[in-house]
Amino acid sequence: MSEPKVIMVSSDEERFKVDQVVAEKSVTIKNMIRDLNPDGLTEDFEVPVSTIRANVLSKVLEWCEHHKTTVFPDEDDEDAKKTAPIEEWDRTFFRVDQEMLYEIILAANFLNITPLRDSGCKIVAEMIRGKSPEELRKVFNITNDFTAEEEAAIRRENEWAEDR
Amino acid sequence: MVASIYNLLKLAFHCYNNASCIFQHSKPSSPNSVEEDPTGNREATTRANSNTVSRYEADFIMDNDSNNFKELRDSIITDRRLSEANNSINQIPPSPPSHKNDNNHFINYQYQEIQKNSLIRLPTEILLQIFHNLDRKELYALLTVCREFADLIIEILWFRPNMQNDLSFKKIKEVMEIPKEKTHWDYRQYIKRLNLSFMTKLVDDDLLSLFVGCPKLERLTLVNCTKLTRKPITQVLKNCEKLQSIDLTGVTDIHDSIIDALAENCLRLQGLYAPGCGNVCEASIIRLLNSCPMLKRIKFNNSENITDQCISAMYENCKSLVEIDLHNCPNVSDLYLKNIFNDLSQLREFRISNAAGITDKLFELLPSRYYLEKLRIIDITGCNAITDKLVEKLVICAPRLRNVVLSKCMQITDASLRALSQLGRSLHYIHLGHCGLITDFGVAALVRSCHRIQYIDLACCTQLTDWTLIELANLPKLRRIGLVKCSLITDGGILELVRRRGDQDCLERVHLSYCTNLTIGPIYALLKSCPKLTHLSLTGISSFLRREITQYCRDPPPDFNEAQKSSFCVFSGHGVNQLRNYLFQVMEEQAYSIEQGDIHALFLDQRRRLMNNNNINNNNNNNNNNNNDDDGDVEIDDNNDNNNGGGRNAWDRRAEGLGLEDIGIQPIFDLNRELFRELNEGNMNPEEIQEHFQRLILNRHQQRVFAFQQAQQQQAQQRQQGQRVGGAAAPPPPAILAPGQVGRAGRRGNNDRNPENAPQIEQQAVFPNEDPIIPDINDDEDVDMDQVPLFPRN
Repeated sequence: MSEPKVIMVSSDEERFKVDQVVAEKSVTIKNMIRDLNPDGLTEDFEVPVSTIRANVLSKVLEWCEHHKTTVFPDEDDEDAKKTAPIEEWDRTFFRVDQEMLYEIILAANFLNITPLRDSGCKIVAEMIRGKSPEELRKVFNITNDFTAEEEAAIRRENEWAEDR
Repeated sequence: MVASIYNLLKLAFHCYNNASCIFQHSKPSSPNSVEEDPTGNREATTRANSNTVSRYEADFIMDNDSNNFKELRDSIITDRRLSEANNSINQIPPSPPSHKNDNNHFINYQYQEIQKNSLIRLPTEILLQIFHNLDRKELYALLTVCREFADLIIEILWFRPNMQNDLSFKKIKEVMEIPKEKTHWDYRQYIKRLNLSFMTKLVDDDLLSLFVGCPKLERLTLVNCTKLTRKPITQVLKNCEKLQSIDLTGVTDIHDSIIDALAENCLRLQGLYAPGCGNVCEASIIRLLNSCPMLKRIKFNNSENITDQCISAMYENCKSLVEIDLHNCPNVSDLYLKNIFNDLSQLREFRISNAAGITDKLFELLPSRYYLEKLRIIDITGCNAITDKLVEKLVICAPRLRNVVLSKCMQITDASLRALSQLGRSLHYIHLGHCGLITDFGVAALVRSCHRIQYIDLACCTQLTDWTLIELANLPKLRRIGLVKCSLITDGGILELVRRRGDQDCLERVHLSYCTNLTIGPIYALLKSCPKLTHLSLTGISSFLRREITQYCRDPPPDFNEAQKSSFCVFSGHGVNQLRNYLFQVMEEQAYSIEQGDIHALFLDQRRRLMNNNNINNNNNNNNNNNNDDDGDVEIDDNNDNNNGGGRNAWDRRAEGLGLEDIGIQPIFDLNRELFRELNEGNMNPEEIQEHFQRLILNRHQQRVFAFQQAQQQQAQQRQQGQRVGGAAAPPPPAILAPGQVGRAGRRGNNDRNPENAPQIEQQAVFPNEDPIIPDINDDEDVDMDQVPLFPRN
């Protein structure tokens, strides 16, 4: 028999059969496999990920597949993580609508795939960069819940943050 | 089955989330500016050794950018979870913006279906992760987008208000001056780190008073805020029960009340830097140590009130100490310190100085094995009672020491250096200034085992000779050399150091002040091969106290007296480059003229005439200079005038002796090589080596003396001739002069009267008694004057 696979079941009951290394990009799943099978997998392992829809899960698994051999910078080194540029492949991978982007980030958070989450967050950060508050509200679908006076006061009191 | 696994997954996820929350919650207390920087930068920057501020900034950079975010994120998430949990218990809906669903308070716990493509749907931790990629200015734009963002961003911005430049400093000050009821938020609620040490001139009592009432303050940094007095500091500390560190370096008015306020309010204090605590009484110190058991880093300097009782309290209460700095606390003895060493095997840094009560007993309780695993820095400056015994024990107990400072421990001998050599590659930083007993042998032993030394200071180790330099040439990572007042060092040693270390040397700082034998040539060679050099000190070396050299030197400290100012000669930063360029230019010209003179017979006549003129002028000038030598100012003026005449002239007197390919130094090289070949082969025992050296040196000296005497005889003859012929005497054929001088200088046992060319007997002091007949050629200027009769035209 070939190596046992991991079968991930999406919220809409779609089954994704992937290699163990690919699934284990998710620390959550990795820990689970290890906890339930201390001696290693002997047969296929089925995990329901009922909070993630099939279209999102397939995206996430596409990323895991692509990065199954990538070595990421140290988890704890926030600086290294922050300064690392977004990979070109990731950039293309994230060419999706905002809803999908957030879903991927949330799924990555849920499955504990830190590099994917961070990459997504950087994409969002890039979308934020260089925009005025009004533009930001428009781009991100946010309603302004401040009064004009409040907004002015907040701006005034935090003006120092504008300086480098 | 599937269901049960599903439940497990849910459970696992919950556990993951909660665990990370709890785990991270416990974390923020640990990384601390004063407290948690185990590696590199602190020591690397102390290398600069000059100002605490820059060192501090380095710590903050290291600490803040990385740990900062984690601490911030963890504390915000924890706070929110706690408040959301409370809200849900009390059934108070958490005032959501209208477009949010009712599950809002679970947003951090549960993954939710996303209904809208709005950024605001993302949970706090994701938002924080996104914001982490943005700088302050971009966050400012986001601040007014909506309440949810604002609440988060305001915490990020005020976590550590930016007081690093004039403008933002003033703007923050203005906001703080508004009564807190009138601002949109009470910003003091959010400040966790306050660092006022960037704009110290603007920091006074009024300013600091604005920050009274920051209940969450964790770190307070007031480095060099010299205007501050005790009152506002004490007020700020009130109710700061979360304070983890306070740095009062440079604060002058450190009073009992400040220390008492810390003891009263800040029971979680982990770092306290109060070097200027000389006025704080013993009782306050003890009270503080009793009430702050979490202390990890302590710095009490320059105080007579730090007594053994204080150390006892420290020993009894503070079991987490990693750094103890008691610089200049003369009343501390080893009585309780030895218990601390025995008890706190996690200790990383220990400094004490000028304490007569520190003896070899300091480590007596320690077992004779690897025990102080973490100890990296030890500084026992000026504790004169310690001997080699202490160092030997120290090396056994703490074999991973990185920085060792034993300066002014006068009893230290080569035995300590041999012991320290066991530190091997761990040792990066060694200071042995004023350890007058150490010799080249000790340095050789140390340097040969500890290849990673980056910083070495051997100031005032007056027995050291050029051998030390040659040993130092073998340190590939050496960045700083201190050899102030090692007056036996000569040009030959410097040249050999340069030759062995090669081009592109990594040396950054070289201190050679009061190495009085040095001249310009070897220093030029040093400059040329050390592109990274940023500091070069040559104070008190007569060869360099010339206007055209000192013009690139930095200003002497204002508190120097006239004599000190006139001998001050330190180059730093750009000055080093300017000096290098200047010397390069001079050397180029010199090289050109010599080459032309030697090789191109075609131009010989013309050149000869030109050079003769120059030389005669120069020598005339030299004579003037030398006659005036006891008055440095006159010399400088002379040279200056001279210099205006032509760039090369003023230089010639020196340049003549430098040669281009170590001309004139060659004999010393030969001798040194011979000596070191023997030494390196290492087949001889120490007595044999000594004997051998003595023989070599004696031979050498005899040659020298002979040559010297011959030279004097010749001069005497010439003088007589000159007198006989009178003022009309023809000078030596000018055509030969310039090349001839160079040629002579190159010969072994030459009879050149120029002191720079005289091979110096650099080994003399190692066996001072063995050399009864050293000609007094170190008083070189006198020898130089013998040239007077050579040019009777004068």
